[in-house]
Amino acid sequence: MDIDDILREVDPTFHTIPQEKRDLQELTRAWTAERSAPELLPWPTSGLFERINDSIKHQIEKVEEMTGDMDPKTNFALIVIQTELERYRYLVRSYLRARIAKIDRHTLHYLSTDDLRARLSEMELAYATRHQALLHNHYLSSFLSSFPAGLQNLNDAAGGISMIETPDLDAAVFIRLLKDTFVTARGVDEDDAANMRESDIIILRWSDAKPLVEAGSAELV
Amino acid sequence: MPMYGDLGNKLVQHAKRTQNLAHLPSYQTELVRAVAREVRDLDKDVASLLEPFQGSFDPSAEQATACTLLVNHLSMRRNKRCLLAYHRTRTDKLEELVWSGSDVLDLAGQQTGGGNGGPVADSGGSSSLSPQEEDYFRQYGDLLAAYKGQWTDIDLTGSLEPPRDLFIDVRVLKDAGEIQTEYGAINLTKNSQFYVRQGDVERLIAQGYLQKLG
Repeated sequence: MDIDDILREVDPTFHTIPQEKRDLQELTRAWTAERSAPELLPWPTSGLFERINDSIKHQIEKVEEMTGDMDPKTNFALIVIQTELERYRYLVRSYLRARIAKIDRHTLHYLSTDDLRARLSEMELAYATRHQALLHNHYLSSFLSSFPAGLQNLNDAAGGISMIETPDLDAAVFIRLLKDTFVTARGVDEDDAANMRESDIIILRWSDAKPLVEAGSAELV
Repeated sequence: MPMYGDLGNKLVQHAKRTQNLAHLPSYQTELVRAVAREVRDLDKDVASLLEPFQGSFDPSAEQATACTLLVNHLSMRRNKRCLLAYHRTRTDKLEELVWSGSDVLDLAGQQTGGGNGGPVADSGGSSSLSPQEEDYFRQYGDLLAAYKGQWTDIDLTGSLEPPRDLFIDVRVLKDAGEIQTEYGAINLTKNSQFYVRQGDVERLIAQGYLQKLG
């Protein structure tokens, strides 16, 4: 043992949670949040998915390496790794599909402003743009092209109603508080405000919960 | 005499019905055309109504005409909404099929083979899709394949059920030939039963070749 090892042992960051575990936590959280929130949440920009992709690739390689070995001990380890791999895959798949479902439902909305576009990953943006183009093309070739020119748009706002549907930001969500917080929420008949404690679980409108979640005082469950 | 919007209403009813069906009923070519024609006719009416005014139309002076114009405009927009709703419902269905891995040929086969007591295709053709829809189906398939290609290790169209067991029991419903797994080749002949890794056979279960047991 040399001085570096001793130093490392007293370094507080050395004993904290390893990166892989934090990634898994972050992924699980992003997945839960994405499935609960009525609107699309920002794509994680911290390189989370690049790291996760790498570790999945790494594990696949490991599995391939170990497959040839018929030793019962490796076989057991293999099953553990493969089970873990399947679970990882499921999380990522379910997360991506939840996002795609939201993007498909309100494509024009998410493409309408730069702020909203920034929530999509590059791949999702490419997918959404292309998907919308396909749909528009399909409408055009099916019937829209025979319409009078003034009626060919897909983003009319005539009569005060925009043709672009938006997600319902007032839908109810469940959140768990991560610290003691003063929560205000709008109700149907009356509004309510109360001091809530850490780990309390409450149901409220997403529009009221959003600032809490973004500030890190609460998470979606 | 049919009223404005009657045809559009029919389309919406078709769309509503489609939502609850497992297969895609045949495309209402005639109806779609008729609704689009109605829109063009209404537009012509509007133009001819406005013509004598030379761009100086005053709604409060000509209330009767103003009312006609309003009704015409609303009917056109309503028809457009009906058409959009009808097509969107169908494309949603098509996208679902793309995700579950069907192809256009399967669909055509479905129409001729399994009548299911449904109404006979009035188009007389072999496919329940309009040519435009077939194009859309193919293009969306390409788009999805491209997006999936970015996530090769995930299998984006895989099962959305959380995985429980790595290995499952399956029974073979249809001959599926030989598949390669990490544990060697398995020959999937009808009525045989296997204990296999779920990830290896998911596709075959979705396509109806295998049945998951227990």
